[in-house]
Amino acid sequence: MELTILLVLLALLLAAGVPVAFSLGAASLAVFFLLDLPVIVAFQRMAANMNVFALMAIPFFVFAGDLMARSGIAARLIQVAEAAFGRSRGGLGQVDVGASMMFGAVSGSAVASVSAVGSTLMPMMKEKGYDTDYAVNVTITAAILGILIPPSHNMIIYASASPVSISIGDLFLAGIMPGILAGAALMVVAWLVAVQRGYPKGEFPGWSVFLRALVAAFPGLLTALIIVLGILLGVFTPTESSAIAVVYTIIVGAVVYRSLGPKRFFQAASSSVQTTSMVMLIIGAAGMFGWLFALLEGPAALSAGLTAISDNPAIIMLLILIMLLVLGAFMDMAPLIIITTPILLPVVMDAGVDPVHFGVVMMLNLGIGLVTPPVGSVLFVGCAVGGAKPEAVIRTIWPFYFALIGVLLCVAYVPQLSLWLPEQFS
Amino acid sequence: MLSRFSKLLSLTARALSVAGLVMITLVISWQVFARYVLNASPSWSEQAALYLMLWFILFAAAAGVRERFHIRLTILQSALGEKHGRWLDCACHLVVAAFGIAMTIGGGQLVLETWSHRIPALGLPRGSAYIPIVAAGAMIVFFALEHFAHEVRGKEVQAAWN
Repeated sequence: MELTILLVLLALLLAAGVPVAFSLGAASLAVFFLLDLPVIVAFQRMAANMNVFALMAIPFFVFAGDLMARSGIAARLIQVAEAAFGRSRGGLGQVDVGASMMFGAVSGSAVASVSAVGSTLMPMMKEKGYDTDYAVNVTITAAILGILIPPSHNMIIYASASPVSISIGDLFLAGIMPGILAGAALMVVAWLVAVQRGYPKGEFPGWSVFLRALVAAFPGLLTALIIVLGILLGVFTPTESSAIAVVYTIIVGAVVYRSLGPKRFFQAASSSVQTTSMVMLIIGAAGMFGWLFALLEGPAALSAGLTAISDNPAIIMLLILIMLLVLGAFMDMAPLIIITTPILLPVVMDAGVDPVHFGVVMMLNLGIGLVTPPVGSVLFVGCAVGGAKPEAVIRTIWPFYFALIGVLLCVAYVPQLSLWLPEQFS
Repeated sequence: MLSRFSKLLSLTARALSVAGLVMITLVISWQVFARYVLNASPSWSEQAALYLMLWFILFAAAAGVRERFHIRLTILQSALGEKHGRWLDCACHLVVAAFGIAMTIGGGQLVLETWSHRIPALGLPRGSAYIPIVAAGAMIVFFALEHFAHEVRGKEVQAAWN
């Protein structure tokens, strides 16, 4: 009964337009009063959920991504992608996907990727006669590759929300092959749509241009190596690696590329505290909500409901995929990871799914939610950067959705895609 | 007068948050530097960074109520049209303000309850870490009511951050 009240109240507040964090908090508090539970506990849960060392990776990776976008690192990665992929029909679409993959390998924030890659490539595409909706479609779907390709702060959130201990190094390695597969699928779709719409062909600028671009981008690309190797070799913890990424980016931007001054630094910091505080407040409020949900035996009800439909692991997985797609359309990624991981992981582990594998599935699954309305932060940022209306973008985004959902099914039902690489390293 | 104060408060919160972000970056980098270069891991760094993080997140989050950057669904409000959507939005501001009141009270209880505990590595009262919940709660009440007062009169609060 109380569980129903909690969920209905949450749905009503969300629909009315109360911000997500406050909807979670207010619905939870109402049930706290109803059950006569002490309010102090609610805020204890809120503070406890935010006061986690692993979550500090969120502000750092967001900050590093923002700094990269403003300090010339992103621009140089795009030049490499342009030299490598620019020659096919609709080549700038391929460049966009390639640049997003590289940006994902140095940062891991999809929103930073959209603004970094999109603000450079979208105007170039429009100038060459590409439609705005296509430019936004490619950029936003490619941006979520950064969530799969390490480093990825969302994977760190997943590991910290998990009831069983999961190695972040394994998670990072597990994301690489699915990330490349999703990138390849998006490149194919971007090419097909470009052919259909008759977009212009680019030219290969020659090996010397390519190599020069690669050398210029090298200091930025090195970030990826420092972070991933640093974590895998145990030089530093994931959170420390994210702080090192910030310092390293500042040094590259200010000293090597000389394009990061105090003004851009402040802009990046300001936009990072905005993103971080928004996400972390939701995580805090989700702490209240999750605690109540567990108290009211929500997880048991959910898993009973799922197993009542079927006890076939493949079907349970499918139901979870659909559920996460629906939830992802309405909520942001980080709070959903925090709320659903402790609930869903025991269910899928009972069905024989490896927690590292499930983490990768969840990343892609919720990543797709970032580009679906009504709540899709990447979709909206992409539309704002590209100067397009979300309705117009959604009308033509279907081929890209199909590609991502196809890859999602592959990743969900072929565990080796995720698990092969970490097994080679263990 | 009040709206100038509100703008100033929002910008101050941003400045403090940015300073907090820079400080936690320095603290955690120092932790790595000290471990490898000085061969001594500082005992206080993780606790200090967590302490600062709660401050900077809650200040920015409170200012976010004024700047309206918290993610929310607007489909229903826009579907209702200008007039009715505005009333629904007013109700939303009141929900946010009510949550702010609860934050101030619940957070205050938390501060008092845990004041006698010490944060081991820092020597500070545990309760002091939760003061930002109280401060942010009060700011949220103020900012949400400011929005409400504007909205009722058919006006809008001008964003100060960007």
